[in-house]
Amino acid sequence: MRKFRGAAALILVAGLLAGAAPAPAASLASAAADQKAFQDNFRSRFPAVPFADFANGPYSVNAPMRKQWEEIMQFPPYDFALDEGKTEFAKPFANGKTYADCFPNGGIGIRQDFPYFDGKTGEVVTLDLAINRCRQANGEKPLKYQTGMMASLTAYMAETSRGKPFDIKIPDDPRALAAYEAGKKYFYTRRGQLNFACASCHVGAAGQRMRGDILAPALGILAAFPIYRSDWGSMGTIDRRFTSCSAQMRSTPLPPQDPAYRNLEYFLSYMSNGVPISGPGTRP
Amino acid sequence: MKALAIAALLAALPLAAHAADKTEAETALAAAVKAEDAAGQVGNRWVPAEAALKAAKAALAAGAWDKAVAEAAVAQAMANRAVEQSHEQETAWRDAVVR
Ligand code: HEC
Repeated sequence: MRKFRGAAALILVAGLLAGAAPAPAASLASAAADQKAFQDNFRSRFPAVPFADFANGPYSVNAPMRKQWEEIMQFPPYDFALDEGKTEFAKPFANGKTYADCFPNGGIGIRQDFPYFDGKTGEVVTLDLAINRCRQANGEKPLKYQTGMMASLTAYMAETSRGKPFDIKIPDDPRALAAYEAGKKYFYTRRGQLNFACASCHVGAAGQRMRGDILAPALGILAAFPIYRSDWGSMGTIDRRFTSCSAQMRSTPLPPQDPAYRNLEYFLSYMSNGVPISGPGTRP
Repeated sequence: MKALAIAALLAALPLAAHAADKTEAETALAAAVKAEDAAGQVGNRWVPAEAALKAAKAALAAGAWDKAVAEAAVAQAMANRAVEQSHEQETAWRDAVVR
């Protein structure tokens, strides 16, 4: 009895320390429930948008912009990157191996499986990170993450995966769940001088106009990457976009592929399971 | 934002009366660096806080003591606010989750 009371007191103290309403424990089931609630939210707010169309970012929710897009797409500005990426992908490293040797299915049609949780290293691995690890394993220098050849390679690999739905798995491993939870927390946490969270703009205000842009819905938000943006005048990877959104929040961006950004990508991609890959994309 | 500007102004005010010296500038900068490090610890550095810190360092190096003190005060106030923000968000983020 005394022992029991002691335990009860401990639990009470732990509850108080954790805050008034202790957060429900995360589990694979709660992650699946998060995903359903997230997708249902966008479906019910944008009933006219077919689910697969969330792969097209701002175009999915704005008709005039979509028309502009259809015009741009007569001469897609990412074509040069696609060609460059395709050539680079096939080019052997100095040791004679190629990118194809590093990936399942020779790297073709696999974009939808990234990022994945690597049980051996206990971390989230994005496609961009896997590309650089492949290079380094073969004695090559890593590529810069935000633009240039990294964007070209991921453009080519995305293009071979077009139409394949995001298929992100959370393995039954507490570390994978922790990575997912960290990404979720990052997405919803307000930070920076303007007191915004990622969710403030891409959930709450999705579809609304901000300066010259229409805010992309968070559902499917990474499906079109990498993208060509006219205001960048070049291609940009997911890291480039995360960096520029952090800066818009007056929050100092993290280094590309920082574990926090990788966990964020894991969360966003898992929320988007079922949305087809559409990359590379183009934005006005 | 307004609150921050006022805080920075208040912090800088007494210095208008008596010009700051090197020691005051160094003390102010050290306090700002400490505050910004704390913001970094919770993963919440603000772009304008870092800009003010940089400006404070440059002013110190240039011997502009008053300016160094004023910029350091801005950086420190923002960094403290960032730490508070992270503290609030430690639990508050859950209210924003789509469910
Ligand atoms: C102040 C509003 C705002 C906040 C906060 C914000 N973004 Fe953005 N984001 C934008 C704008 C504006 C664009 C460009 C227009 C668009 O495509 O949504 C954009 C674009 C994006 C895109 C590309 C969408 C596409 O289809 O081209 C991604 C991905 C993205 N943001 C992720 C994030 C992440 C992750 C965070 C949090 C770190 C974040 N954003 C925070 C405003 C914001």
